Amino acid sequence: MIDTPFRHRPVFLLAAVVLAQVMLLAFQIKRDHDVRLIRYWAAFLVMPFERGGTDAVNGTGGIWSNYIGLRGARAENARLRAEIDRLRLENRDLAAQAGEAQRLSIILKFNDAHTEAPMLAAQVIGASADPASHTLFLNRGDRDRVRRNMAVITADGIVGKIVEVLPATSEVLLINDKDSGAGALLADTRTHGVIKGSGDPDARLDYVVNDETVHTGEMILTSGEDRIFPKDLLIGTVASASPGNPFQNIHVRPAAHLDRLEDVLILLTPQELKKQDSADAAGASPGSPGIVQNETELAANAARAAASAAKATTSAPAPPAAQPAATAPKN
Amino acid sequence: MSYMLNPGAQSDSNVEVHKYYSGTVMLTAFLALVLQAFLHKYGRWAELIDLPLLVTVYFGVSRRNPVTGMFLGATVGILQDALSHDNPIGLFGIAKTIVGYLASTIGARIDTQHPVARLALIFLFFHFHQFVFAIMQRVLLNHPEPFFTLRLLVNSVVTAVFGVALFALLDRLRRA
Repeated sequence: MIDTPFRHRPVFLLAAVVLAQVMLLAFQIKRDHDVRLIRYWAAFLVMPFERGGTDAVNGTGGIWSNYIGLRGARAENARLRAEIDRLRLENRDLAAQAGEAQRLSIILKFNDAHTEAPMLAAQVIGASADPASHTLFLNRGDRDRVRRNMAVITADGIVGKIVEVLPATSEVLLINDKDSGAGALLADTRTHGVIKGSGDPDARLDYVVNDETVHTGEMILTSGEDRIFPKDLLIGTVASASPGNPFQNIHVRPAAHLDRLEDVLILLTPQELKKQDSADAAGASPGSPGIVQNETELAANAARAAASAAKATTSAPAPPAAQPAATAPKN
Repeated sequence: MSYMLNPGAQSDSNVEVHKYYSGTVMLTAFLALVLQAFLHKYGRWAELIDLPLLVTVYFGVSRRNPVTGMFLGATVGILQDALSHDNPIGLFGIAKTIVGYLASTIGARIDTQHPVARLALIFLFFHFHQFVFAIMQRVLLNHPEPFFTLRLLVNSVVTAVFGVALFALLDRLRRA
């Protein structure tokens, strides 16, 4: 019997501990008091470890995610580089297409403005292998009704003439080739001459007498006398003029960009192009000087030339050969 | 007489009382509390396992001393209450005090080394712990805490399975 309290001591202790906690609970519930001290110390003990654990996990997670991220970034970088290369190529293609569309648009407008003269659009597909030879190959030939000596022009100015025709291609002799020649006239004075190639990028205007006044920048037009190029098509402008023996040395800068031609027009007949107003002509080939010069302008030019000649007469005797060209422009 | 005075030490001749290095029990219990609070931040899956309960049961059945088991349960439970802001202090304390006492008492009478026995023991103690906890909630706080739900069943199974592995790990902390 004496052992009973000892035997049940753990039970008593259990009851006491449980009772103490029940009382603690009752105290918290009844008074609505929180035992902040216990919570404070519990947090004080545990939180440093929690913080350390969180930092360790975040650090490890950060390293891991960064590693994965870097691997992903490398792959993404490679993918994006490939994408940039692809887009660059696409951009280049689109720019080329846009340029082509613009060129074709100009040619189409020019063609539409001159429905009286049948024209054929052609693409430049090649050039001469000889550096001294200024010839081009077009993608139009006999099948397209292309014949020898047909004029090849652009909206900017004349290009040359067809010298060889194959079934599907044709060869163009450019106006700056040394074998080339075309009837030309100075727009201001209507002085006639022959435009010839020199083998250089520029052409030259021959057979203009020294007495003729030639201004740098003056336009040179086709005269139509060669029966290849219709009259009054723009050839180019005077780059320089100097007295020569027996004729002036006149260098001509072709209006058409002969060194970077891509699309041209073949005139299927040597019929003259209809003369238009300046505005129409400008509208026909935006961004470039009108190929067709109207009669009003020509008359004005003739009047200017006559006045110039009269002025020259007062100061010095005018060359007789210049007078007819200055006063009577040919049509 | 000594048996009567200290029933947990040599309660049964064929049941061994395990000793641990000083501080091991408190350190392990503390670590369980830290981990329980820590893992809770990383998802609700951490709620499946009651680490403080496992530690209480393990050291209860291993040391086989109802008094120390009871105080260990009380300490762990009160700290668990203190770290859970929703509970008034004492709810887990009372439940784990009783669990610690019972685990020590049972451990003193039966062999709890076998994994199946451990699995059953943890499973039963889990539900007993929940039963006491629910009683306290209902009686003292008037909260309708359920005695049994499917989720509690899942939790008890997961805790039991995990507990078997954890007990095997904790066995390594024993002093030879």
